[in-house]
Amino acid sequence: MKTGTLSAKEIIESYRGPRLRIMEVCGTHTHEIFRLGIRKLLPEAVELISGPGCPVCVTPVGYIDEAVLLALEKGAVICTFGDLIRVPGTETSLAGARAKGARIRTVYSPLDAVAYARENPDRNVVFLAVGFETTTPAACIAVKKAKKEGLSNFTLLAANKTMPNAYEALKDSADAFLYPGHVNAIAGTAVCERLAREGISGVVTGFTARELLTALAVVIRLSQKGEPFFRNCYRRVVRPEGNVPARKLMAEVMEPCDAVWRGLGVIAGSGLRLRGAYRDFDAEARFGIPRLEGKSNPACRCGEVLRGGCRPSDCKLFGTGCTPQHPVGACMVSSEGACSAYYQYGGDWNG
Amino acid sequence: MMCVGISAKVVSLDEDTAVIDVSGAKRKIESGLIEDLEPGDYVMVHAGMAIARITGNDADETDRMMESIE
Repeated sequence: MKTGTLSAKEIIESYRGPRLRIMEVCGTHTHEIFRLGIRKLLPEAVELISGPGCPVCVTPVGYIDEAVLLALEKGAVICTFGDLIRVPGTETSLAGARAKGARIRTVYSPLDAVAYARENPDRNVVFLAVGFETTTPAACIAVKKAKKEGLSNFTLLAANKTMPNAYEALKDSADAFLYPGHVNAIAGTAVCERLAREGISGVVTGFTARELLTALAVVIRLSQKGEPFFRNCYRRVVRPEGNVPARKLMAEVMEPCDAVWRGLGVIAGSGLRLRGAYRDFDAEARFGIPRLEGKSNPACRCGEVLRGGCRPSDCKLFGTGCTPQHPVGACMVSSEGACSAYYQYGGDWNG
Repeated sequence: MMCVGISAKVVSLDEDTAVIDVSGAKRKIESGLIEDLEPGDYVMVHAGMAIARITGNDADETDRMMESIE
């Protein structure tokens, strides 16, 4: 982890150039950077911004409201990743719905939801499909399995998202991105190379201390050259072509649509919905529910946090009205969220 | 936690599924999106599905990367 003269740590600590804003676009990067104490190494001129890389954090309030409606009024069994259960909706969370008698099940994989539907043919099972390129293939496999098996009691409430257009929407918020390594494991690196040609710099990186420090050192060194750049610092997992079978699967089952991101609004072409051939597995269509707008707590500043517009500790709710035990905003609910990481590691900007 | 990648060793394979070992914990996952997997390979797993093969370690990779920015 050394160049001929300086280690990655030394390159980071000795930086005295112009202000450099680096946005990590992955909740696990946010968490690991805090956990490893990397923020404490940063000189004053380097600012790390925790971007919208946690799928729970960017899921809009209206989506939670739709899930609550399906659970309480349509009698559906909701199968979901655990992080979503405590995200506040307009009136209540899924945890609140459960307290009113709704059936809410935590699963690790969409395939577990299919198995539950298979074992309970008398129950309507809805899987809450949120996530980026990393988790969408599993949701697509789940739908294909359900169709192949003729499971008429399984549907998705789809709010899957893709990252490329989000980078465009955020390009003025940072000078360089730490791209989310596992999204690129699926998507490949062509999009990052295109963004570099358009003037948007970044590096793909992994999640260990060595990888994160090296990525930051690479960003600092290449930024000093003054030209937009892209480097893949995670080649042991991310190939230039990505995972081609996974992308073919997603393109077969889902199609692009506009999507609402909490804090960022609508980003054109950044969502995924089921294609017509799989419409029978779309929970909104199956149950005829409306698209709900939802209202978040007006004091919550999660939206600004996700754009790098403020730090979690700038929000007056942080650590007082909003804690991991009693979250108000999505960024405090998920352990991948920026507010949760700040809180867990001391509520201090530098961790 | 939904969006966390877990590195795992492939123990056995059966068509499009694999049994993986994560520090002694074993689980069946979907492995059909990775071609030519063999027992002993390492994969990155998200939400019950192998999304990438892992080759090499972070020490070698970061050393190469640092040399490239000399």
